[in-house]
Amino acid sequence: MSCHGSAPGPDLGRSTTATLPATLRVLLVGGPNVGKSTLFNALTGARQRTMNAPGTTVELATGTWRTSAPGTLGSVTERAIVDLPGTYSLLARSVDEQVSADAVRDLAQSSGEVTGQPGVAVVVLDATALTRSLYLLAQVAETGVPIVVALTMLDLLATTSDSPAAAVEPETLAATLAAALGVPAVPVDARNRAEVGRRDLARAVDDVAANPRRVTGIAQLEPPCETSVAVPGSMPHNAVPDLAQELSHAETLFEWVEQVLEQVTMGLAPESDARTATTSDRPLRRTFSDRVDTVLLNPWAGIPVFLAVVWALFQLTTRFAAPLQNVINQIVNGPLASAITWLLALVGLGDSWVRGLLVGGLLAGVGTVLTFLPVMAIMFAALGVLEDSGYLARAAFVADRAMRSLGLDGRALLPLIVGFGCNLPALAATRTLPNARQRLLTGLLIPLTSCSARLTVYVLLASAFFPRDAGTVIFAMYVASVLLVLGGGLLLRRTAFRDVRTEPLILVLPPYQRPHLRTLGASVRMRVGSFISKAGKIITATMLVLWVLMAIPVTGQHSVGDVPVADSVYGRVASGVAPALAPAGFGNDHAAAALITGFVAKEVVVGSFAQSYAVAKPADAARPGSLGEQLRASFDESSGGHGGAAALAFMVFVLAYTPCVAALAEQLHLFGWRPTVSALVTQLAGAWVLAVLVFQVGSRL
Amino acid sequence: MTLRESPPGAELCVTGVRLPAAAAFRLNEMGIRLGTLAHVTQQAAFGGRVIAVAGSRFALDGGTAALIDVEPVERRA
Repeated sequence: MSCHGSAPGPDLGRSTTATLPATLRVLLVGGPNVGKSTLFNALTGARQRTMNAPGTTVELATGTWRTSAPGTLGSVTERAIVDLPGTYSLLARSVDEQVSADAVRDLAQSSGEVTGQPGVAVVVLDATALTRSLYLLAQVAETGVPIVVALTMLDLLATTSDSPAAAVEPETLAATLAAALGVPAVPVDARNRAEVGRRDLARAVDDVAANPRRVTGIAQLEPPCETSVAVPGSMPHNAVPDLAQELSHAETLFEWVEQVLEQVTMGLAPESDARTATTSDRPLRRTFSDRVDTVLLNPWAGIPVFLAVVWALFQLTTRFAAPLQNVINQIVNGPLASAITWLLALVGLGDSWVRGLLVGGLLAGVGTVLTFLPVMAIMFAALGVLEDSGYLARAAFVADRAMRSLGLDGRALLPLIVGFGCNLPALAATRTLPNARQRLLTGLLIPLTSCSARLTVYVLLASAFFPRDAGTVIFAMYVASVLLVLGGGLLLRRTAFRDVRTEPLILVLPPYQRPHLRTLGASVRMRVGSFISKAGKIITATMLVLWVLMAIPVTGQHSVGDVPVADSVYGRVASGVAPALAPAGFGNDHAAAALITGFVAKEVVVGSFAQSYAVAKPADAARPGSLGEQLRASFDESSGGHGGAAALAFMVFVLAYTPCVAALAEQLHLFGWRPTVSALVTQLAGAWVLAVLVFQVGSRL
Repeated sequence: MTLRESPPGAELCVTGVRLPAAAAFRLNEMGIRLGTLAHVTQQAAFGGRVIAVAGSRFALDGGTAALIDVEPVERRA
């Protein structure tokens, strides 16, 4: 915990670079959408990875920034670089902003110590939004950390008319800013991977690390822990103590920003009076983004466009991904399984439990992870395009009203809708939310959206029990899903998420831009890799455990790995669970086994039913044939003749409990153990209560 | 008048912010302060407004726009 006593205190400035004692540490600090990540990718190339800030679920990209001196062979300089979450201020209002604020202060403290490690903050200034960027720069400068300014969004200067730096040459602006600030300012046109900009930035960073300079006009504040009251930075997230004092201090920074802007404007247009050269008297020229926004933010066109974008995402993660998933599935279950079997046969283990463990357990787990790869890669790429292009901010604005009642950002609507296709990419899409608490709240609601895998269960049961009204029953399940999301959201906001408040929406709309493919590719690669290494391991381990449970016999004369389900540990567990399901009307072994299998994936529930009744899995779930008859018989028996009510209760249970092991693993990866386990228990309890309610009411009608 | 009542194309000066203190502070930090000059560039659903301030575009929901007082600015010839 850092000394400022603020909530979860990631000691980032030290911890991320602890393994590289002699390496210069560099933090990229800047507002959201100022081009930090693009710069980070340009500087690090493939030498990067994601990690969570210590003690939080805030994801950070860390990497190595390597340069070689021109004309020298083998003289390579390496710096450890961290891309911090975008923030408008070091007075943090969210966990994400707190991570950035703490990292800057830790670096300042460590750099200032005699035995500390050298570090530099590269403050990324958006050239089109200098007022906002300079305020953050002033706060960073107050910490005393050595600073280099990186100027971005330079290509957009030509198209803006009301920015102080409108239509100014990048080099002129950089020189003027450097003169006004007293620290190096480097134009980095990272979008084009400008070699010169990166080299100049490296030189400036190394120079400032060796000879730290102060930003002109900004005094260093005492470290917050050594002062008695709230100095900027001591503010825990979601609380603003002694606001008047903070505001009065901020006023001095605002004045400084105005002075710098005046100097810059004078420097840029020395022959004219600065007053007339400022933006106030310039007519506003409508930019390309303004013209696009007249359509995309129009009250009548904006919402259909938003729905079309979400529909496209939905299609991409379901229909478009399905053929790719099938191919992977076929390769894993066909040639790959055969190859393993053949290899085992060569060493005399072709028909042993080892084959079962490797093919039925390990390969099934790896196969599951692999089949999810296209979905995840597509989702990460699509989100990257939406974010980089600038549309995501518009989507947040358009959907704001719909999400306000749940205390969520408009951006949360997108993952929630995607959840109706598949929960896993929907969980991945929560990364676009700028606030950790909102990400968690959305991530807990996503499992309640009825994914397409659950549809197979609805179709089977609705067709078997309500052949005439199957469509209506399935529709009702989707309505129930929406109600569960709303009810769950309202409930969580009144209990564990009282701190998540509906804040006034003040959103910066970045200009529309063409996504940078190289940056996009790097980000997709990094995130898919992170999914495989974290969620993938949990999925594979769960599949292995499941296989072991199914392979160990408890009754009958069976050898390990060759056991009918009913005689295995798994079957015994299902029999043990079944009585608990009796109040919901489906307390039979078949239903219990299907629900346990459903933990792995909802697609296998139908197969599990078929397996446990020892009938063929119907080719079309809507024509259940003999499986339907068997289901009706056992549900009628366990419900005392109210098979229909029991089937409805079963569907509600399937809707409300854990979607699948992959979603669970991703939740674990994103949010950690405690929220995931709490959610798992709550979902199971909620599903049971709802199913019992549906059966008890339904059987009495 | 309030920002919510201002039509697209209007040139305005911010004269008052009646938001909760923390939100008003963040608005200041983001560059919208008393005396700030703004152009309304877009009228969105439910009273939302997009304004141009010093080269940036800010989207505000209808409820927030209703709590920001503005005065029209007469353009000098």
